[in-house]
Amino acid sequence: MVLEATMICIDNSEWMRNGDYSPSRFQAQAEAVNLICGAKTQSNPENTVGILTMAGKGVRVLATPTSDLGKILACMHGLEIGGEMNITAGIQVAQLALKHRQNKNQQQRIIVFVGSPIKYDKKVLETIGKKLKKNSVSIDIVDFGEEDDGKPEKLEALLASVNNNDSSHIVHVPPGPNALSDVLISTPVFTDDGDGGRGFAAVGSSASGFDFGVDPNLDPELALALRVSMEEERARQEAAAKRAAEEAGGQDKGEEPSSNAEDATMSDVNVSAPEENKKITDSAIDGDENALLKQALTMSMNISGSGRSGGDAEMLEATGEDQELALALQLSMQESTGGPSSQSEENKLLGDQAYMSSVLASLPGVDTNDPALKDLLASLENQSENQSESQQKKSEDEPPNENK
Amino acid sequence: MACLHDHSCEDHDCSSDWSLYKHIDLPKVSALNEAVPGSVKSVFKAWEQRLNFSGEHLESNEGDPELLVFIPFTSDVKIKSISIVGGADGTSPSKMRAFINRDGIDFSDAQGMQAVQEWELVENFQGVLEFQTRYSKFQSVANITLHFPDNFGGDTTQIHYIGFKGEATKLKRDVVATIVYELMPNPSDHKTRAEGGGGLSHVE
Repeated sequence: MVLEATMICIDNSEWMRNGDYSPSRFQAQAEAVNLICGAKTQSNPENTVGILTMAGKGVRVLATPTSDLGKILACMHGLEIGGEMNITAGIQVAQLALKHRQNKNQQQRIIVFVGSPIKYDKKVLETIGKKLKKNSVSIDIVDFGEEDDGKPEKLEALLASVNNNDSSHIVHVPPGPNALSDVLISTPVFTDDGDGGRGFAAVGSSASGFDFGVDPNLDPELALALRVSMEEERARQEAAAKRAAEEAGGQDKGEEPSSNAEDATMSDVNVSAPEENKKITDSAIDGDENALLKQALTMSMNISGSGRSGGDAEMLEATGEDQELALALQLSMQESTGGPSSQSEENKLLGDQAYMSSVLASLPGVDTNDPALKDLLASLENQSENQSESQQKKSEDEPPNENK
Repeated sequence: MACLHDHSCEDHDCSSDWSLYKHIDLPKVSALNEAVPGSVKSVFKAWEQRLNFSGEHLESNEGDPELLVFIPFTSDVKIKSISIVGGADGTSPSKMRAFINRDGIDFSDAQGMQAVQEWELVENFQGVLEFQTRYSKFQSVANITLHFPDNFGGDTTQIHYIGFKGEATKLKRDVVATIVYELMPNPSDHKTRAEGGGGLSHVE
């Protein structure tokens, strides 16, 4: 809750085009900047944040320190990449902008993103650092992008000359799968006194320590609702799996896909997919995959009371996403007919089903409470009860294939 | 100007003269270029402790003798003279410049601006030297900023005591803190004479 005026110095030099941080260095930087602005303004409503760019034609101040988050986010649009970064000029202009802040009671802080090599000497950086220290300005350095030989040492020297009582920090972010903003959230750049940014960070990214991406402190009811629904779902799936394992026929299989779809609507798909896989592997019964496939077709079409072949034929007329689904189903069906052993077929189908379930969950038109759908499920269950051998199933696969 | 105490202090209580430190708004005191943040608060103490070199003191950063001290008061004061006790070995400040009633001054401002008054300091290890002010300019001081640009050759500048002699008034120069603007008049805020118990009304 420190009252602070912050100037963020953005690197928009040519080196920011590189894609080693996804989607590009510049985008990753922009996301991080947006998160920082949000965190600062949230931790204290009187905090102000300003932005300037260091490369391009020259150092340019995009926004003087303001508490208006909308203005800051707006000026992040339309930034052009080019030129070389001038770190010394950037820091000096930032210092000047902070000097003219409206509320003199605010602490001064500069956050510098350094993604390109530094062409200045360590000496120059140290003098700048001393000047910052003299005027009690703290600095946070984000070292990412280019891995120059002397770059980390130069930045460490700059930090050492500014650092007064540990109020300044440096973060080195190597390229990798993690987003720049995610790495920064756990560092002192965000957290400051330790608890400032954490509350905001939990809301900002789903990769937080909390179960459902929702801070129980911030929104206890939502967190509770999510947890309860997740547990209910889990209990239901376990019961379903138990029943399926006990009985020979695939009576309960029909319930699984619908429960899977519900699962997806209620919580993360990522969380549900592994569970679905588990359930499917638990009950390894041949005849049920076919029933599931048919269900998937009809569910994706959201057609009431259509037969199996009807569903297959209309599949091809559907949107691109459905076509992909059709292709996947086609492949899986062909595999089921040509596979040497039933076990390997199952595995392939399992893989497809997991993919299928996740695709189903993302399809917009799927309504699991559709009465027509429920009728279809019931009819499929009856059909699967009548069949006892996997060979019969395969023979039935032929006509649908021919239709295609 | 310096004046030495040529009388024994039992007759007249020197410490009461130097009691303006009680009117300093200590939490809001700040300094620039101090080595230890917050150490500036330790130099404002009673007259008797001015020579107590053992406790905390204000020290500037290594290699940089400049110091800037911002001192707000809880009410307006009139400052007659200022006493500074510096450190040994050339760490005493050699010059002092004062700015009145301006906040947010930093080094570049201080170097550029014309000070209200400037003094050439001397080393004051006994704590008996005081530097008089042009009293007419220091009549209603809400805050004072002292800039010490240089010292007597030491690596850092040390200050152990800053004392102010003068009077405190009960007045506050402070800016109006909270203002309530009325967009529309609220009758309950404005009691008329009739509601307030009545008075003579003239009917012409």
